Amino acid sequence: MDNAEFEKFKEALRKPATPEAMKAAAQAFAQYRIVQLAKGKSSRPTLVNLGKGTGYPHAVPVDKIPEQLAKNPEFYNLMKKVVAREKS
Amino acid sequence: MPVSVLMSDFDLPTRSASGFILRYIAPRVEPVQLFSVFVRRLPFQLSAPQSDIIIGVGHGNADSFTGYNEAEILEVGKYDPREVRGKVIKLISCQTGVELGPDLIKNGALSVAAYVDDYVWVCDADFASTPWADALAATSLMPVVDGLNALLDGKTARESFDIELEGYTRNAEVEEDELVKSCLEFNRENAVLLGDPEGRIRARPKLPLPFRLVPPPPILVPLRG
Repeated sequence: MDNAEFEKFKEALRKPATPEAMKAAAQAFAQYRIVQLAKGKSSRPTLVNLGKGTGYPHAVPVDKIPEQLAKNPEFYNLMKKVVAREKS
Repeated sequence: MPVSVLMSDFDLPTRSASGFILRYIAPRVEPVQLFSVFVRRLPFQLSAPQSDIIIGVGHGNADSFTGYNEAEILEVGKYDPREVRGKVIKLISCQTGVELGPDLIKNGALSVAAYVDDYVWVCDADFASTPWADALAATSLMPVVDGLNALLDGKTARESFDIELEGYTRNAEVEEDELVKSCLEFNRENAVLLGDPEGRIRARPKLPLPFRLVPPPPILVPLRG
């Protein structure tokens, strides 16, 4: 089930970083996390990176990922690379 | 011969990654170990020329590697080749394999293992004071530790690099969380080994068993951000 939700998120990331695509990806990720949280995952998971001078935060709590996806094109493009394996 | 271990520690990602080096690598090697506020250019300049291996954790980009509060440590064209000549270097940082890594090799480094894109992972912020106990972060960071331990056992840069890559593959295969799995696969794809794959350092003795069981005390220094 969660794999299917994640595939939807991955598909949503394949579009260029327009406000509509970013909002759709944010919703898809939020839906995926609802399924994950129902499985009782760890307490404060946070996506972190060791980048310098990037346009996205070094640490994004996983429950805040939809928020970042919807408002930050650089973060959207990072997720696009990490999850959908597509360079922007 | 001393070892230069640079463990930046000022925000959650540096705390998480440095925590694993502090717990599993630092007890095995001689000083100079630079932690937190000491990860700056001057202490590095003094220690690096005498080291046979440089292990660095910090934020980075294509042409630079930084320490505490993103203070420049190594930047393309702005360091003395003596600091890197003949050394095996491992940089746990973003994108340093793009320009900085090749520049280090050009200036005489024996081998450089780094990443050509961001280094990303999922950690649990609740483990900020004992980052080495974070099982979520361990999926990505233990392969790095295993690779470094192989280097310290006397294996070649290539063997050590392969151990890290195999670790990512193994952990990705059993990982249930798709986001964590994506991060593992992304880091594996972006890991690069530059320079001499046969490069190796003097083997260090393994840590005696009783000491392996004792973790460091919790880190109580507050984090930025």
